[in-house]
Amino acid sequence: MAAFYMSEELVGILRQEGAASELQTQVAQLFEESREDVFRYLMTLGLTPARAQDATQEVFLRLYAALKSGEKIENPRGWIFRVAHNWGLKVRARHAAENPFDADLEAKLAAPARDAEQDLLERERMLSFHRAVEALSDQQKRCLFLRMEGLRYPEIAAAMGISPSAVSEFLRRAMARLKKVRDE
Amino acid sequence: MSNWPSGHPEEGLLLRALDGELPARKARQVRKHLEACWQCRAEMESLEATVAECVRYRKQVLAGLLPEAPNAWQPLDRGFDRVDAELAATPLWKRLPRLAPAWQWGVAAAAAAALLIAAVVQLGRTPSVQAASLLEKAVAAASARPATVRTIGIHMRSGLATLHTVGGAAGNWLPLPPDIQMAFQAAHYDVADPLSARAFQAWRDSLPKKTDDVETEPAAASPHELCYQIRTQAAEGELASATLLLRVADLAPVESKFEFRDQNWIEFTQVMEPPFQPDGSPVAPTQEAPLRPVVPSRPAAVAPRLSASISDELQVVSLLHRIGADLGDPVEVNLTDGKVLVSGAGVSPERQRQVHELLDGDPNVEVRFSQPETAQITLPGEAPATSGDTANVGIQTRLEKQLGGRAAFERFSTHVLDGNEAAMSHAYALRSVAERFPAGSEASMAAPDRAQLHQLARDHVAALETEVRVMESALAPVLAGLGARATAAGAIEAAPGADAAWQKAAEDTFRSSRRLEVLLSVLLGVTPGENASGDLPSQVLAAVADLKAGLGRCQHLLEQ
Repeated sequence: MAAFYMSEELVGILRQEGAASELQTQVAQLFEESREDVFRYLMTLGLTPARAQDATQEVFLRLYAALKSGEKIENPRGWIFRVAHNWGLKVRARHAAENPFDADLEAKLAAPARDAEQDLLERERMLSFHRAVEALSDQQKRCLFLRMEGLRYPEIAAAMGISPSAVSEFLRRAMARLKKVRDE
Repeated sequence: MSNWPSGHPEEGLLLRALDGELPARKARQVRKHLEACWQCRAEMESLEATVAECVRYRKQVLAGLLPEAPNAWQPLDRGFDRVDAELAATPLWKRLPRLAPAWQWGVAAAAAAALLIAAVVQLGRTPSVQAASLLEKAVAAASARPATVRTIGIHMRSGLATLHTVGGAAGNWLPLPPDIQMAFQAAHYDVADPLSARAFQAWRDSLPKKTDDVETEPAAASPHELCYQIRTQAAEGELASATLLLRVADLAPVESKFEFRDQNWIEFTQVMEPPFQPDGSPVAPTQEAPLRPVVPSRPAAVAPRLSASISDELQVVSLLHRIGADLGDPVEVNLTDGKVLVSGAGVSPERQRQVHELLDGDPNVEVRFSQPETAQITLPGEAPATSGDTANVGIQTRLEKQLGGRAAFERFSTHVLDGNEAAMSHAYALRSVAERFPAGSEASMAAPDRAQLHQLARDHVAALETEVRVMESALAPVLAGLGARATAAGAIEAAPGADAAWQKAAEDTFRSSRRLEVLLSVLLGVTPGENASGDLPSQVLAAVADLKAGLGRCQHLLEQ
């Protein structure tokens, strides 16, 4: 009877309901693998550690909700960073960047290493590199940090709401500046 | 490094090749070039080393030194339960599209009333409903507002960024490049006002298949203001996606962005602050001449002839301006032998293509690009020691202290120098227009051509003014902290007389821009220089004031 005919899609839904725990396992595994990266990226956007941690959890739960609703996500990592980027900017706008991510970094970099074997020259090199990164424009920095997390240009573009060619141009400028510092 | 394939691929292309972001054919071309070219191979290796440095930076600095999460990471189980509960509460109608047709109709008929209620409940929750509702409210709010003059910034893929004053009771059009206009028309998007809820709504409603995304975002031009961001992606059609930002407070459109299928894009931004005269009073609303077809300065009844006039030259310059080819590209325009000759050496292939597309087919125009015969490599010599260095190093140290450290100084310096670079590109372009069409030539022009010439010059003045304001807002508080004295604007020259020409004011503006550029370079330590008076901060502020006064004079004369 037609009324009792179950389409593949309906079977899919029921399977999805039944396989909720499998989906949860997958998202939990991704959370385990990527939460530190997302947390760190959110801090580079200017969130405090506590807010960045809350936002990280929320991003992965949104991923779960999206997948469970049947959304097809081909690249979950790209999706996560896109949502993290938008969510992070919203949180930052509400709290007006209470604690810039790099507030203590320079002092930590300049401080004598606890590890006696750490090379002084290496530390100084990283310090000047860090200053160069800090001096990049916001857009350049965001493109660079997302690229560091392994996102491709179209994924960065989707996350930031700009075109891939604009991503290419921001990255070119950023790399030109960093190359100059490195070559000095 | 920009004339590849006959020269060397530019740095951006190498980076895209390194990142695997080039199409296969182009990637092969780059690879072949690298095999043959030591210079580019060394460049590529340097780029790779910088990438490696970024990886080390991520590991040692970002991962190693940023604070750790303040609390132990909790499993997501509780969150999963919350999401499951929320999804369970999702009405059935949201799942209908996934059901087989027989089920769909059966369930739909049985639950029609419930669906109606569910739809009302969902109003404002699903992106598509939210988008439609927001647009409807925004259109209503717009029709309740009086027609006002707005300043719109346009940013295009070509890099061109311009400001235009539009609107008012008459309603004007934004001048757009022909390819963008055609793309809008092909997408059935009303090109007359691309920054309006009405045009967005009409386009969105016409789409057979679309997806919406509604977010709340801060406006880029005014981050303290929250906006609804509606992004609609079209499954088919020339326009792949359009994004509109509506200010939460009054649903006024403040930004829009359009991405076309061919990767072209354009952005429109409402300039939040109204423009002001140098004396602080608001600029009188100016009406931009609507986009018009090319009107030559000769009787329309005369049969077409193969002899270019100054009018043709003006049209060519205006067209090049629309694609941004008048801002730094080595593109020359000359009126010789009855033709407008557009030429240049070392112009990028992409820019050459754009110019050809724009101008080929006009019998009065000849486009002739060439490549430089040999690559001229200039090795930098040793910078001569100057007696002023020590004094200026002192100023930079004071600046660093004032700003709170070396990193902050470098950020400040980059910001100001970027602004200056953009300002200078408009200062050069304005001077070039003034030199090309001196007052004597202008007097012989037909009225529409004169209006077009003034519009061209006004574009550069407005863009230059914006850049100067941005620089001033960064410089003034910092330099005041170093004891700089503010200077009254316009002290150097008296107000322009009735017979004064804007061309002269444009030349003065260029000189003021150059002076500011030199002073900024010395202030920020980019170039060594003497600072005999020891009051460099005051001199910088005085140069900014002079430049603003010059721009005010230009604007005044161009309005006449």
